[in-house]
Amino acid sequence: MKLLLSKNFIAWYFIMPALAIHLLVVATPSILSLALCLTDWNGFGKINYIGFENFYELFDDRVFKKAVKHNIIWTIIFLTVPISIALTCAYLLTGIKKFQLIYRLLFFFPYMLASIISCQIWKYMFHPLHGIGAWLSSKGLDWISASPFTLKETSLYAVAMVDGWHFWGFLVVVYITGMYQVDNSLYEAADIEGATKFQKFRFITLPMIRPIFIFTLMIIIIWSIPTFDYIYILTQGGPAYSSEVLATHLYSQAFDRFNVGYSSAIGTLMFVYVIIIVSIFGILQKLGWDI
Amino acid sequence: MIKQIYKIFLLILTITFISGSIFAKSTVTWWAEANADRDPVFQTKLVDVFNASQNEIELIMEFKEGLNDILRTAMIAGEGPDIVETPGPSYVKEYQEAGLLSSMENYSWQYGWQDLLLPWSYSAGVFDGEFYSAPKTYETMIMLYNKTLFTENGWSVPTNLTEYESLAEKIKAKGMHVFSYGSTGWQPTHEHLAGMYLNSVAGPDNVYKGLIGEKKWSDPEFVNAIELLRKHMVEEGYWSGSLENYYALGWDDFHAQFGSRGAAMMTIGTWTFGTTVSTFADITDDWDWAPFPNLTAKGGDPSYLLALGTTLSINGSSESSDAAAKVIDYIFKNKAIVLDMANDFNFGEFVIPLKFTADDFGDNVNPKVKRYLIDFAKQTGQGNYGYTTWTFWPSDPGVHIWKDMEVLWAGDITSEEYMEDHEKLWKKARKNNSLLPVGSR
Repeated sequence: MKLLLSKNFIAWYFIMPALAIHLLVVATPSILSLALCLTDWNGFGKINYIGFENFYELFDDRVFKKAVKHNIIWTIIFLTVPISIALTCAYLLTGIKKFQLIYRLLFFFPYMLASIISCQIWKYMFHPLHGIGAWLSSKGLDWISASPFTLKETSLYAVAMVDGWHFWGFLVVVYITGMYQVDNSLYEAADIEGATKFQKFRFITLPMIRPIFIFTLMIIIIWSIPTFDYIYILTQGGPAYSSEVLATHLYSQAFDRFNVGYSSAIGTLMFVYVIIIVSIFGILQKLGWDI
Repeated sequence: MIKQIYKIFLLILTITFISGSIFAKSTVTWWAEANADRDPVFQTKLVDVFNASQNEIELIMEFKEGLNDILRTAMIAGEGPDIVETPGPSYVKEYQEAGLLSSMENYSWQYGWQDLLLPWSYSAGVFDGEFYSAPKTYETMIMLYNKTLFTENGWSVPTNLTEYESLAEKIKAKGMHVFSYGSTGWQPTHEHLAGMYLNSVAGPDNVYKGLIGEKKWSDPEFVNAIELLRKHMVEEGYWSGSLENYYALGWDDFHAQFGSRGAAMMTIGTWTFGTTVSTFADITDDWDWAPFPNLTAKGGDPSYLLALGTTLSINGSSESSDAAAKVIDYIFKNKAIVLDMANDFNFGEFVIPLKFTADDFGDNVNPKVKRYLIDFAKQTGQGNYGYTTWTFWPSDPGVHIWKDMEVLWAGDITSEEYMEDHEKLWKKARKNNSLLPVGSR
């Protein structure tokens, strides 16, 4: 009895309701969904066990290979472009004393917009009949002849730009919060030593916000895998699979073609990837990395 | 005294219980896709009228957002409505194979549904020899044109490939797009065009042979049809001026483009009637429609492509299947209600393929729409029809036809390779017994 009322157990009692809900609505369906990858279930009828057949088929699937490549490109874009812009803007903002809140709000605003709204805004901007291209064309400047979302060479990058536009404001707010935690005396000492703004950023700000920085890298790597909404709304993975990613391929297999078992195999690989990434960060932390 | 009161109380209770059981109404539930404009019409013109017409059955129609997903989850769990509404035969096939639907074969014989429905639409509901799904809406692909513009320029509706291409050149020379159409927001739009070209170039007889496995989809007739579509789309820019514009335009855009003389014609399904009528309501130009022409060198009669929009079935776990069948029968035997409601939806919804004749229509029906409905029933009754991909193609090849069409249009593969891939998927579908009912021709 004493043991059941001990401090350790009491903590478990408090966590129990949340844990029960989690097990019921997240863990169990997830495990069941993972199990489906070994079946040929179509989402309706009998479930037949087919071993690893879905995975063999997956490695022959050219759209799957394309989707993996696009997810890698997507991750690289998000690990570079929004991060560099956000770091620069956050650092510059720390030096602004007046109206700083307004700037922060302006940068953060796209993040508050629903994805469907952001997408519609950009779609209209490049609309062939009444977008920027059509307006320029009416002035005799044929610079934007087609929407970048409709060209196979640019569609993936165009969607990444829209998603990045919505995302970088979030990073600004995260980085600026970290930058405000940096002890001001370090900057004062650097000033006395005659350090430039860049040197202060490189040798004080960046090392001091490293845990936050690494955390954002990790969430970007993880979030880039299930990316779906912007691509689905703007291009639906097209044209010609040029912006197809794993999540859109998974969706198409499950809901257009009724290949639930197959799409579950895609989901399983995505899950394994996320586990690997989280494990790598965990191992680095255990090895003493300050992340 | 108390004992007597107790006895009387028990007697009343028993009588109430027995009479309640005898006279209780059966409840029939029906889930439909929510639509703010349509839902009140269904409620007032169908549900309320049906409930007032008899005392046995209480029909309850519930309107759901994202019906397909909700319905599938409920059905797998052994729940769901008594009347199951699906977006087409490919869904019926999956539900039927999973044993989630009741056969309506006996009801069909009992009520004579086969005589009420257009033959092809009845056949499309027969799975494994039994009737499982009744058509709720049918549609076809047509070609709309700006009638005023055609009269001004002395143009006429083409009847063969030469006339078709020559008209396209004349339209382009006037600085307009040949057709207004686009796929943004609905990628499967490509299959509308693919179906039209397969039927108009290769011919409905060959498409039928392809469907029943007597011809390969990689045969030259089909490859030529798809290659012609590729040429017209990519090289000639028939649809909205270029492939990129076609990808970028949506429903409102292409209707506006057609209404403002941005394009002289529009290839679209009959679900457009409502929007087209309202687009042209405020302008001086007039519009008209024609079946999509025969695109062979010799020409010939155009064919209407058969398509079912939505279907009605009875849930396998329904406890009121008899009552559900009575509801369906009530609809099929009340042409006036069907036509009145379909007219409210501008014949974009609830167009049940009943055998309509000119006498069935009131003066309130748009004459152009009326002409279509009568002609469609007449022509298809004579066997002059083709096949749409979304009604007769199994799901895997059905997705391939529009999803991989973009790969062909992008120049990554040839028409031959595209159709060879298509044939492979059909072979797989045949092997897996995933084919949909086609009926005999």
